[in-house]
Amino acid sequence: MEGFTMVDLQALSINRDDHNNGSFRRKKELELADMFKDSTIEKLPDKVLLNIFSYLSHLEICRMATISRRWRQIAYDSRLWKNVSLRPEISGLHVGSLESLMTLISARFGPSLRYLELPIELITHHVLHELAAKCPNLTHMLLDFQQAMQLHDFSELQAFPAKLRYLCICLSEVIFMEGFMRKIYNFINGLEVLHLVGTYEKTDQEEEEIYEVINVHKLKAATPNLRVINLYGINFIDDSHIDAFSSNCIQLECLAVNFCNKVTGATLKTLFQRSKRLKCLLMNGTSLQSEHVMTVEWDKTILQELDITATDLSSECLIDMLTRIPSLKFLSAGQINGFNDSVLKAWMESGNCKSLLSLDLDASDNLSDEILIKFVTRYGAQLQACILSGMAHITDQLWMTILPILKSAKILVMGCHERLSVNIHVDQLMDAIATNCPKLERLELRWDPENLRFSDKSQKAIDLLRVKCLKLRCMVLSDGRYYELVKANFERADRMTVVRNTTCCRVSPYYMIQNYNDLIFN
Amino acid sequence: MQTIKLQSSDNEIFECDLAVAKCSATIRTMLEDLGIDENSEDEVVPLPNVNSAILRKVIQFCTYHKDDPVPSSTDDDENKEKRTDDITSWDADFLKVDQGTLFELILAANYLDIRSLLDVTCKTVANMIKGKTPDEIRKTFNIKNDFTPAEEEQVRKENTWCEEK
Repeated sequence: MEGFTMVDLQALSINRDDHNNGSFRRKKELELADMFKDSTIEKLPDKVLLNIFSYLSHLEICRMATISRRWRQIAYDSRLWKNVSLRPEISGLHVGSLESLMTLISARFGPSLRYLELPIELITHHVLHELAAKCPNLTHMLLDFQQAMQLHDFSELQAFPAKLRYLCICLSEVIFMEGFMRKIYNFINGLEVLHLVGTYEKTDQEEEEIYEVINVHKLKAATPNLRVINLYGINFIDDSHIDAFSSNCIQLECLAVNFCNKVTGATLKTLFQRSKRLKCLLMNGTSLQSEHVMTVEWDKTILQELDITATDLSSECLIDMLTRIPSLKFLSAGQINGFNDSVLKAWMESGNCKSLLSLDLDASDNLSDEILIKFVTRYGAQLQACILSGMAHITDQLWMTILPILKSAKILVMGCHERLSVNIHVDQLMDAIATNCPKLERLELRWDPENLRFSDKSQKAIDLLRVKCLKLRCMVLSDGRYYELVKANFERADRMTVVRNTTCCRVSPYYMIQNYNDLIFN
Repeated sequence: MQTIKLQSSDNEIFECDLAVAKCSATIRTMLEDLGIDENSEDEVVPLPNVNSAILRKVIQFCTYHKDDPVPSSTDDDENKEKRTDDITSWDADFLKVDQGTLFELILAANYLDIRSLLDVTCKTVANMIKGKTPDEIRKTFNIKNDFTPAEEEQVRKENTWCEEK
C-alpha cells in the first residue's frame, strides 16, 4: 500500500477546495444518493465480499457468519483461513474445546490451510490426525508448549502433517518432549526451517535446574534437509548440539543460536568443515571463547552474515577472524570490549570489508571517532545499514560528517540513552538525513529527549524528511516532546504508523539478512 | 496528451487522458484485444456496465492516482499486510458518499478491474463492519436475516468457539 503514501500536497489542496464547493456538491450528492438507493451490499458479487472479509480478523469473520445464509457461506470460505493462529495470548483466536477445533479443521480450514499456530491445550493426537488428513497443504506450523505443565499422552499418535517445511516449537523448561517427538520423527524429513524457542526471556534465576527437554541428537537424524536452524534462548543448548546438527544437515545455510549462553564455539571448526554452504551465523549473547573461534578456518568459509554481539571475544581473535573471512556482507559486533580501533584498522587494511552492506557497532566504547570516520569514508557509500548507537561520544557532529557518504542507507540507528552534557541539534540532523539518504526505510534516534534541541524550524526539517524519504516505514524516537512533534507531523500526512517510541519498537539490522523471512518466529 | 473517449451505460461520452483510462485493466485489455487504434480520435470505448455518475467519479479517482507507483505483482495476497487504517485523507474524502454510491463504485472498480480503487473501497466497507454486532450490521446494510430458527441456532453454535476469551 506504499502507493497511497505519496500525497501530492498541491493536488490535495486544490481538491479540497473543489469538495468544499458548497451547495453544488451537496446537491449532486443527493442526486447520486437518490439514483443508487437500491444499490445495497447484497448486489456485490461473492468475490468482492470475500475481498472485504479479508480485511477483517478471524473473530470478526466468525461474527459475519451469523448475519445471513449468504454471509455464512462466504465467512466459511476456506480462502479466508490460510494463516490461522489459535494462541489467544498472542492475538490469535481462542478455541474453547477440542470438538470445535475438529469441526473447524474439516469444515473451514481444509486444503487452504498453510500456516497454523497451536497452543499446548490443542495439541493432541486427534487434532494432529485430523490436520494430517484434511489439510494437505499445511506447510508451516508452530507448536507452543511454553505454558505446558504436562504433555498430553501421544502414545496413540500415528499421523502428523507430512508436508511441513517450517516447524517452530516453543519449549517449556520442564516438559520433556521425547514422548511427542519420537512419534513425529518419521513425518518431518522434509523440514527446511526449524525453530526451537527457549525460555530465555522468561527466567532470570541462574541457579534453577536445567533440563534437556528435547533430544537434539535424535531430532537431527530425522531432519537431514534443514536449511535454517534457529535455536533461540535455550538454556541447555551447547556446542555438542551444534555439532550434532552439522553432522547431518549438509544443506545448512543459516544457523542462529542467539542467547544460548552455554555455547562457547568449541565445535565451530567442524561446523564449517561440514556445512560448506553456511552463509549466516548468528551468535548474539553466547559465551564464545576466543581460542575456539580462532581455530576455525575462516578463510575457507563462504560466510556472509555474522552476529557476535555481546560476546567476550578478544581484540586478537576479532582481528584474526575478520581479516580471514573473505567477504562479509553483514556484521553485528556491538557490545564487545575487544572491538577497538586496531581491530577496525586491521579489517580495513585486509580489504575484506569490500562487500559489507550492514554494520552494527552498538555500544563499542573502545572505538574512537577518528577510526569510525575513516572507516565510513572508505566504505560508507556501500553501507545499507549503519548502527552506531550506544556510544556517548558519537553525537550529531560525527553523523553530520558521515551522512553525506551514507547514500545507500536503508537502516540507521544513532544515539545513546544516557544523558549527555552536550545537546543534539536534531533539526540539522533531520535535514542532513533527508538530503543524503533517499532510500532510508528505518531510522532510530535513541538520545534522551532532554538532549534533543529543536527550534521553530523543526516542522520544516521533518517535512523534508517525510517528502524526501518516501520509503521510510519506521522511525523510532524516545518518548518526549520531539517524538510527539514528529508523530503529529507524519499523522497529518496520513502516514499513521511510521513514528513509534523506543518502548514498543527497536530498529534491528536483521532485515538485511537474506533468510530474514525464514528467521521470523513467534 | 493522448486522450480516449469512454461511453457510459447512459450514453454519455467522457473524454479522458489515455494514461488515466489505462488504470483500468479491463480497458487496457479491450484496447489490446479489440485492436482499437490508440491514435484514432473518433474511436469510443463502450462501458455498458458503468453509468455516467459513477464513471465521472472513477475518472476523478484515476486522474488523482495516475502517477502512483504500480504495486509489484509479487506483492500478492499472501504477503500483503491486511490493514485498513492506511486510507489517505484524499481517498477518505473522495469516499464520503452514501452507501449506494459506494457499492456502485465497488461494482465499477470490480468490472473495470482497477485494483487500487477496489482495495480502498473494500477497506472502507470493512471499516464500516468492524466493531459492530451482527444486528447492527444487518441494520447498517439492510440485510435480511434469512436463517430459520434452527439454522440460526446451528450457526450460533458453530461460531461460539470464537468468542473472545
